[in-house]
Order: sequence, then structure tokens, then C-alpha cells
Amino acid sequence: MTSVSANRAVLAAQDLQRRFPLLQLVALVALFVWGIVGLPAFATRPSIDSMLVLASFLGIAAVGQTIVILIGGIDLSIPNVITAGNLLTTLLGGKHWSFGEIVAAILGGAVVVGAANGFLAHHFRVPALIITLGSGSVVVGAVLAGTHASVYGSVPGWFTHFVSPASTVAGLHIPQVVLLWIVITLVVGVVMHLTGIGRRLYATGANERAAELSLVKTELVWVGAFAASAVFAATAGILLGAWSGTGEQAIGDPYLFLTIAAVIVGGTSLIGARGDYWRTVLGSLILIVLTTNLVGHSYSEATQQIILGLIILAAVGTYGRDRALRDRV
Amino acid sequence: MASQSLTLPFVGAAWRDRILDGLRDNTYVFALVLTVALIIANTAVLPAFASWSQVPSELGTLAPFALAAMASTPAILSGGGGIDLSIAPLMGLVNIILVTGLLSHGLGNPAIAVPLLLLLGGVIGAVNGVLVGVLRYPPVIATLAVYFVLGGIDLRLAPDPVSTNPNWTNQLASTLWHVPGTIFTVGVVLLLWFFFRRTAYYGALFAVGDDDVAAFASGVNASVVRIVAYTLGGVLAAVAGIALTGTIQSADVTVWPFYVLIALAAVALGGTALTGGRGGFLGPALGATCVYLIQNLLSALGIDVFYVQVAFGAVLLVAVVGGAFLGRTAQRPRGAG
Repeated sequence: MTSVSANRAVLAAQDLQRRFPLLQLVALVALFVWGIVGLPAFATRPSIDSMLVLASFLGIAAVGQTIVILIGGIDLSIPNVITAGNLLTTLLGGKHWSFGEIVAAILGGAVVVGAANGFLAHHFRVPALIITLGSGSVVVGAVLAGTHASVYGSVPGWFTHFVSPASTVAGLHIPQVVLLWIVITLVVGVVMHLTGIGRRLYATGANERAAELSLVKTELVWVGAFAASAVFAATAGILLGAWSGTGEQAIGDPYLFLTIAAVIVGGTSLIGARGDYWRTVLGSLILIVLTTNLVGHSYSEATQQIILGLIILAAVGTYGRDRALRDRV
Repeated sequence: MASQSLTLPFVGAAWRDRILDGLRDNTYVFALVLTVALIIANTAVLPAFASWSQVPSELGTLAPFALAAMASTPAILSGGGGIDLSIAPLMGLVNIILVTGLLSHGLGNPAIAVPLLLLLGGVIGAVNGVLVGVLRYPPVIATLAVYFVLGGIDLRLAPDPVSTNPNWTNQLASTLWHVPGTIFTVGVVLLLWFFFRRTAYYGALFAVGDDDVAAFASGVNASVVRIVAYTLGGVLAAVAGIALTGTIQSADVTVWPFYVLIALAAVALGGTALTGGRGGFLGPALGATCVYLIQNLLSALGIDVFYVQVAFGAVLLVAVVGGAFLGRTAQRPRGAG
């Protein structure tokens, strides 16, 4: 009898976890407390501000990864688009393009690349993994060749200030880029949960055939989702241009697996249609607070990676496993 | 095929169908044609490319590519979204342990080192296999976690490059007993693959890869099949790590990241479906050869290294979209919808 009630408690906990990222919240709070206890300057304003700025780079880069994973895809071109956006921002800035022109050009290019990703993957039924691997290689190769890998250039002073942890919004002590992240989070949340676009997205991810029969144009959903992914990656690239001040050839590289890790740790399932961007926000914060703790305790990068791997296993073990074959017959 | 008489009642069309069917059934043909064309192009640009003194070292550089691609294959064949992202960091681990742990401590004798390293690869592959096959982790996540753990261990063991004294692995990247050493790495693996195709496990692997639920319902132990598949991948990654040591002659933690995505690209370029249940080892080996030859050709032409990335991505896109296009033309007349 006790095992039955124990089972029932486990099921109730699993149900709660499915609807609300409880474990992630607990983990974030625990990591934060660990930081306060273990590191003297952890809870000071500069430290919190810089954690938020770093989390906003990761969070903005991972918007698209969340969306494409929700429809059952994956986007490996994100690091390449970030690098391309970063290089073009500083290079064109150095050529005295206006900031508006730069952003329009980069985001316009990103829409084209992302839409092509979504179309090719959906129309020809090729795994998105391979399409985005190929297109990412073309994009970053073309930008590096076109710019001769020049890392020289400049960004406007106000833009450097925009991503600075010390910046303020209307007197409030909140970095401006973090405000941008909050706005993006709200807009993405509204679009995904309160509009037809969001319902089409989840319908496509849950069962593409059923969605198609309900007159959802799934190809359009794929094109739109991957275009959005590229746009957010390019945005992260532009912001990182301001952060670094110069172009960097490899600035996007860590974001290949970090964006996927943020989505997974947040609790969005790779199976599709289960999860949302709020969870990725939590996932990004968890990863950044964890890294800050590890760096603060002067763990090497090697140890950080090992711990990240184990955390992914632990996190997914609690909610993200596939169903047993015997239950699928 | 049924489609010939139904939709295309002409002899010429029947031939066209036969050719298309041939392409469909032998998905590596595109990579094979591209390989031959690239060999010709490479030789035309740089006649020394095909000279006997060059070939063994060229094959030695190619070997880690080809083996990384082949090591990635069993996981993909086993279906269920099967993929192994940890192949490249495992290659790195084998490379580092061979150089810093074995060769420098008198354990470098191949009779000791090779079995030890293959065992290591197999054990780590089996961990992946248990995570996927028994604990039911999605393969991308399980192997991504192992990727991070192995990558961290690699960085820990060899934060700085360590070069090695002259040793036997060098012969794998040059000549051994008067033949290219690659014959003893890639050649042996390909040979074993052809024997492997006659085993009962081969049938089970493809049954699970094609439709795991149906295979399970027919009494195939899908968990064991998947564990063995990932274990095989790990063993092959160890061979790849040994071949890598042969060509770089050092323990270098900055080298393996290069193989992470290239290996997957080579598998796709070789015509192996990433959805599982179709393909073999020849395709990935040929795909890897294409990648290597494209690089070689463009650098021989003195073309900016960044265009290599462009060309490589474009070829990959053309190959997979072309392959998928062939697959679509096949399915329609058969009424699959």
C-alpha cells in the first residue's frame, strides 16, 4: 500500500514538473545561495549585473533554438550566424554605415538564411541538423572571406554602453541589454501562448500530420521558426559586437552547444511541442550562475565542462526521457 | 519496380527508372562520383598529388576523417534519432592517453596499447549505449553530456600540447611493411564491415534502426542492439584516435573539436540517412574522402581558406537535398503518399 501512495506522489510531482519548471527554480535558487555563501562579492550589484548581461546574450541566442526544438528541429547554424553578425557589425560600423542600416542589413540577411534552412529541411525532409550544419558553414565562410576575416572596426559608443553591466535604464540600476532581453521574453511569451502563431507552432511540433489536416501550413511554420532563429542569433551577434568592441572569428562557437544546453536544462523536451521560452530563460540563468560559481571557486574550464555534462544528465534524467518501447507497441 | 509499368510505359523511361533505383539503393554513388572527380581535379592541379611518395601521408591525413565518420555511423544506423556527438572528444581522449599515458611510460608497445585503447573506447561507447538504450535518454542529449564530460577530461589531462618521440603510430600515417599504414586502420575496419554484414546482429541493427517498435514487437532486444551499436562506435573512435596520433604525433586538445561536425557531415554526404536503418560504412568513408579532397584541392589552388568552408557547406547541401529529391521521386509512384 505504501508503494502505491509513493507512486502516486511521484506521479503528482512529475505532473507538476511538466506544467511548471519547479526543479529549475529550486536549482537556480540553490546555486544563487551557494554563491552568496561561498563567494564574498557574489551578491554585489556589479556581479549580479554582469551575470544578467551574460545570461541575456545566451538567452537571446537561445530564443530560436527553443522555437525550432519545439517544432522538432534543431539549429546548428546559430554560432555561425552569431559570428557573422558580430563581424559585420564591427566592420560596417568602421565603414561609417549608420547603426540602423547595419542592423537592417544583418537581420535581413539572417531572415534569408533562416528561411532557407526551414524550407530546405521541411520541403525535402532532410534532418535540420544537416541542413543547418551546411548552411552555417556557407554563411560563416562567406562572411569571413568577404571581410577577409578583418576584426577591425568599431561600434558606436552608446552601443558599447548599451551592453555594459554598469548601464542604467531611466535611473534604474538595470543594464539596458537586460531590459531588451526582458522585452524579448515578454513578446515571445505572448506570441507563443496567446496568438494563432503560437498555437500553430505547438500543433506542428506535437503532430505534424494532424496539424496539416487542421489546415496549418506546416512548411510556413518551419520557414518562420528557422527565420526567427537566425534573426535572434544575429541579434546576439550584434550585441556581442558591442560587448567585444571588435570582431572575433570564433565568438559564436561556444553558443553551438550552450544554446542547446540552455533549452534542455530549462526543461524543453527534444521530442517537440513540450516546453516554452520561459524555461529557456531559467536554463540560461542557471548556466550563467553555475559558471560564475565555478569560476569564483577557481575551478578550471575543464572541470566546468565536466560538471555541465553531469548536470545535463541529471536534469534530463528527471523529466526528459523517451517512453519505453514496450509502451509504444 | 512497380512504378515502371504503371506510370512510365516507355523503354527509355524504364532505363531511367532503373538508374534512379540504382542510385537510391546505393546511396554512396554520389560521394563515389564526387571522390573520383576530385581525385582527377587534385591530380590535374598538383601532379605530385598522385605520386607514390605522397599517397601514404595523404591517406594518413584522411584516416582520422574517415574513421570519425565511420565511428559516427552505428549510432545513426540504430535509429530513434540515434547520433553520437561524443566521438570526437573520445578520439581526443585516446590521442591524449596514448601520448601522455602510454608512449611516455613504456606502455607504448602496440600489443599492449592498442587493446587497452580499444577497450577504453568500447567502455565509453557502452556508457552512451546504456544511457540511450536502457535509460532512454534522447541520443543528442546523452552524447552531448558525454561530449562535455570527455571534453573536460581531455582539457584536464593535456591543457598544453605534448609532442611525442618517434613511435610506431607514425607508420600508420606513412608506410608500414611497404604499404600505406592507413590500410591497417581504415582498410581493416572496412574489411571487418563486410564480414560484419553477414552476422545476425547486422540484421537486428537495421531492423531496430528502421522501426524500433516493430523490431521490439518481433522479439528483438532493441536495448542490447543499441548498446552494442554505441559500443562499436566507441571502439571505432579509439581507432580514429590512434590514427589521429599517427598524423599529428602529439597530444593536442585543440585538434579534436575540428572532427565533431565534419564527421556528421561526412556521414550525410556519403548518403547515409540520419533517420536510421539505411546505409553502411562505405558511404561515410567516401563522404570523409570528399571533405578531405575538397580541402586539399582548394588549398592547392591557393584559394582563401574561408572559401573551403563555403564549398564544403554547399556540397553538403547539394548532396543531402539531391539525395532527398531522389527519395521523393521513388516514393510517389509506390503510393506511399
